[in-house]
Amino acid sequence: MTAEGVLLIVAMVVTLLFAALVRPRRASTLDFYLAGQRIGVVTNAFAICGDYFSAASFLGVAAAVYVSGLDGVWYATGFAAGFVPVLLFVAAPLRRFGEFSIPDFLGRRLESERVRLLAVAVVELIILSYLVPQAVGSGIVWDLLVGQGMFGLDAYVTGVLVSTFGIALAVVFGGMRGTTWTQAVQFLFMLMLLGWLAGSAVVGGFRYATAVERLGDEPLRTSTLTPEGWRLEPVQNQLDAEAPARFDRPGARYDRISLFALVVTLVMGTAGLPHVMNRYFTSPTGRAARMTTVWVLGAAGMFYALAVMLGTAARAIIPRAPSVGWLRALTVDGVLQVPEHALLVLGRLYGGRTGLTLLAIGAFIAVVSTIAGLLLAAAASWGHDIYERHLRPGATQRQAVRAGRLAVLVVAAISAAIALPLEPVVLSARFPSIVASMVTWAFALAGSALTPVFVLTIWWRGMTATGALAGMLTGALVAVGAFLAGLAGAGGILLFPTVFAAPLSALATVLVSQRGAPPERVEAHWMRLHGTAADRQAERLAELTIRGVDGR
Amino acid sequence: MDAGRERSYPGTTERPNEPTFDEYDTPAEVDAAARTLRRVALVYFALFLLVTLGVPALTLVLDWWSSGGLAGGLSPNFVMAAGGLYIVFFLLALAAAALANAVEDRMLGGPEALDEDDGG
Amino acid sequence: MRGGGLLAAALAALWGLTYLVTQVIVQPPLAAGRMVLAGLVLSTVLTLGYPSVLRGPRMYRRRWPPSRARRVGQVGQTSGAARRAEPAPISIMGSSMPLRSGLTAEAANRTVTLLRPMLGADAVAITDRQQVLAFVGPGRDHHHPGKATITAATRKVLEGARTKVLHSAGALGCPEPSCPLSSAVIAPLHVGDSVVGALKVYRVDETAPSRDLVQGMAGILSLHLELADMDRERRLSASARLDALRAQINPHFLFNTLNTIASRARTHPEEARQLLLRLSDFFRYSTRQQGQFADFGQEYFFVRTYLALEQARFGERLAVRYDVDPQVLGVQIPVLVVQPLVENAVKHGLAQSVKGGTVSLKARFDPLRRVTRIVVRDDGVGMDPATLESALRHDGEMGGIGLRNIGERLENLFGERYRMDLRSRPDDGTTVDLRIPLR
Repeated sequence: MTAEGVLLIVAMVVTLLFAALVRPRRASTLDFYLAGQRIGVVTNAFAICGDYFSAASFLGVAAAVYVSGLDGVWYATGFAAGFVPVLLFVAAPLRRFGEFSIPDFLGRRLESERVRLLAVAVVELIILSYLVPQAVGSGIVWDLLVGQGMFGLDAYVTGVLVSTFGIALAVVFGGMRGTTWTQAVQFLFMLMLLGWLAGSAVVGGFRYATAVERLGDEPLRTSTLTPEGWRLEPVQNQLDAEAPARFDRPGARYDRISLFALVVTLVMGTAGLPHVMNRYFTSPTGRAARMTTVWVLGAAGMFYALAVMLGTAARAIIPRAPSVGWLRALTVDGVLQVPEHALLVLGRLYGGRTGLTLLAIGAFIAVVSTIAGLLLAAAASWGHDIYERHLRPGATQRQAVRAGRLAVLVVAAISAAIALPLEPVVLSARFPSIVASMVTWAFALAGSALTPVFVLTIWWRGMTATGALAGMLTGALVAVGAFLAGLAGAGGILLFPTVFAAPLSALATVLVSQRGAPPERVEAHWMRLHGTAADRQAERLAELTIRGVDGR
Repeated sequence: MDAGRERSYPGTTERPNEPTFDEYDTPAEVDAAARTLRRVALVYFALFLLVTLGVPALTLVLDWWSSGGLAGGLSPNFVMAAGGLYIVFFLLALAAAALANAVEDRMLGGPEALDEDDGG
Repeated sequence: MRGGGLLAAALAALWGLTYLVTQVIVQPPLAAGRMVLAGLVLSTVLTLGYPSVLRGPRMYRRRWPPSRARRVGQVGQTSGAARRAEPAPISIMGSSMPLRSGLTAEAANRTVTLLRPMLGADAVAITDRQQVLAFVGPGRDHHHPGKATITAATRKVLEGARTKVLHSAGALGCPEPSCPLSSAVIAPLHVGDSVVGALKVYRVDETAPSRDLVQGMAGILSLHLELADMDRERRLSASARLDALRAQINPHFLFNTLNTIASRARTHPEEARQLLLRLSDFFRYSTRQQGQFADFGQEYFFVRTYLALEQARFGERLAVRYDVDPQVLGVQIPVLVVQPLVENAVKHGLAQSVKGGTVSLKARFDPLRRVTRIVVRDDGVGMDPATLESALRHDGEMGGIGLRNIGERLENLFGERYRMDLRSRPDDGTTVDLRIPLR
């Protein structure tokens, strides 16, 4: 095993220990205020970023830019843009309603257990489709860094198994709960790494504008595995079949419609991601949740702008780098075989083995924090919404905990089973930058099945439980159906089904809701969702307490 | 695995059982505030979609958008996609959040000065 | 108008930026027609969006004056007084001319200091009809302010309303033998036809100051005094009317509300407590509110408080629906206009109807025409045309604030620039549609 491999494993162990040792401190309203409201809000925003930025963001964005240039940038834009609808429609009311998870919220607001159960099913499905790309991402990192498997397994397989089961076990036995503080620190670490890379690149002579211009001068090419080995092939221009695709021009990846479809998919998806939404409950008030989202947008913008820049930098710098053994093994004529390696290679170019290891730790942290958040969300849904309420209503604390643990293991096993055959080398011709591509499927499902119902439940009084059921079913079925058809060969817009699945879902919700009567206590729910009395009370109490503490 | 129980979020307890305090809203006020906020959200969402989808849309209708070179040589399209949009998002979010907060301040609860005045 | 100026500046900046981005720092520049198109689209978005962007954060930051500041530094009072000063354009000008605020010792003091070098005088004094208000220059030791007007010459000027030139110390008639002043011009200060004081300009030698100069200056000062007087009168009459309104809280309303609270005190103590708090909010607002204008948000609070109390009384019979534009919340509107309209809707529209109904308040702001539109509607009993007519002409009956009163006040504030439409039919409710310009 190489020295970096040892370093990586040490770092992993340290991360896990760190996360397990820093016990979750209960952040009370008072804590927030004592720490100063702004600090509380910013910390929480960074923690949301830590949960949100996964392998898809850390490795995938740079990879997509590396492969497709301008068209690849849109992943990052979409990931960040998703928080704007969250801010506008979801953050404050969701926090004010104050339930524990998305199914819990829908179930209570619509006073229906059937809604809760279906929501759990949809949430589990989303979690699963989000977990798989994370597992693939960790397989890639392991493959590149350690380079060899354990227990006679392939390196990629080992990476997948370690990430899924390793984290699952840590979650189960270590009680790793992803506190606000650790997540925030993890995000800052990732941001720092990107900043360091960008700084090194600029110091090393990289000029953004010039590089983009020069890259645009020649046709974009990508590496493909053919029966005769790796070869470089020109990328087909989707907008204009005559012209070659270029780095700084649109068309390398999307035709006229599918770019819009992608952006809509990502924009709608974030509001339905369970592990992100769960974090909103840690804000003390609705207003704090709202301001948190503003800060998330600021932090995410910074992060993605750097990631995009580094994807460009990798394109520009790698062909000019001194041709050494390790680099030659990863590239074909100066183009990476697996685009997800882009940041890691930059790290090694600028920081040697330490740089590589740091980047790998960053990727690993991204994966770990996201996977842990997802597994926790899965466990919470099972333990809280299904087991305690339906399977065994009188369950003891212990039994519920056991059910949650079991759920974590099952979900981890399923995601590993799906991730294993998806090794990027096999698929990268079809889906360049596979990690980012796969994450969009989770966004598509969330945006089609959950977000429309979610937003309508918050803002429309006429919403009924049957309507929500119809909406979720329509959204989920259309999205999955379209997606399967797309995979089977139809391709194109079918791979980003939100653009038509979400309107269909909303339509179904509204039509069915209009036939029924809204829940009895809709007025009370409305007061809870949109009234600020509880918030004001909390703020006043906190203010009084602080004044008392200060001796004023 | 005990996330469902031990991760305690403030405010997740049942509200109806909490003692009631001086702060309260009436249904008509809450309904009005919700509708005003919904209008704010929809307007800003429309603006957001316009900007976000406008950037790729311009590539289809305006060649200058992807071929012109700004000061450094980057096309306006690239500048917007790679960085400009994030700034737009942030500013949009800031404006929307400030407006939403202001609306809530004005439409729910009483003015602070009146609340805390003593010797009234 | 500051909003308009800001918008104009923002639009100019936007066009400048558009030009810069599309023509200057870019190669090749964008075609001119397309640049204009882009500029137009952006301008439209800016014009439509600016009220929300500008008003949102600003009013959030200002919010309401914090009570702590009021308690410690009397900031509340100062700002109240500042708000009381009405925006008539002359009053802004007045701040540079001391006497503009009236014939007081303090203003006179500043005026004489200002005038002495201007008139090339050694000493300048201003008196009112009884005493010296201010004196500057040699001889101040015995001509000190507050002293009863001494010389016969001054008394003559005050009585005769004519300017007098005195060339010798003897003519001055100063009882103090060591007085250094030996010549003077004394000019009367008028308000309307009556003499309210005198301006006295002295020299130590025997060449008196120019009579015309002093007389001219006295004329200018008189004009300022006259304006100050008009200001005060206008303000007095306006605020007297407002004070009358403020004191005019309908006794029936108080009586009914207290009854409601009393009836809840045993069965729903928590609700009774909340109602009491509301009632105290209601009175606090109506008595503490100062000035002619307030943010719509504040008036909206007053209306909400009122309607919450009425809802407690009427129960299911009174439904309320507010529909408020976000931009309108920060707009300044005349105080005590909306609540009386709503009160009328409850009292005349719904109170007499058995099945009750809905009172709705709709507020909109038109950013282009800069007009605030407030519609108060009820679906109650309505009125026939004759009653409608008399409602417009007469003041409200005992305890109410009539439409005529509101109309008069609006006319006072906006002249012809406001509109109040009234529509009503028997059994079809009443609608008051009010349009007022942005201040």
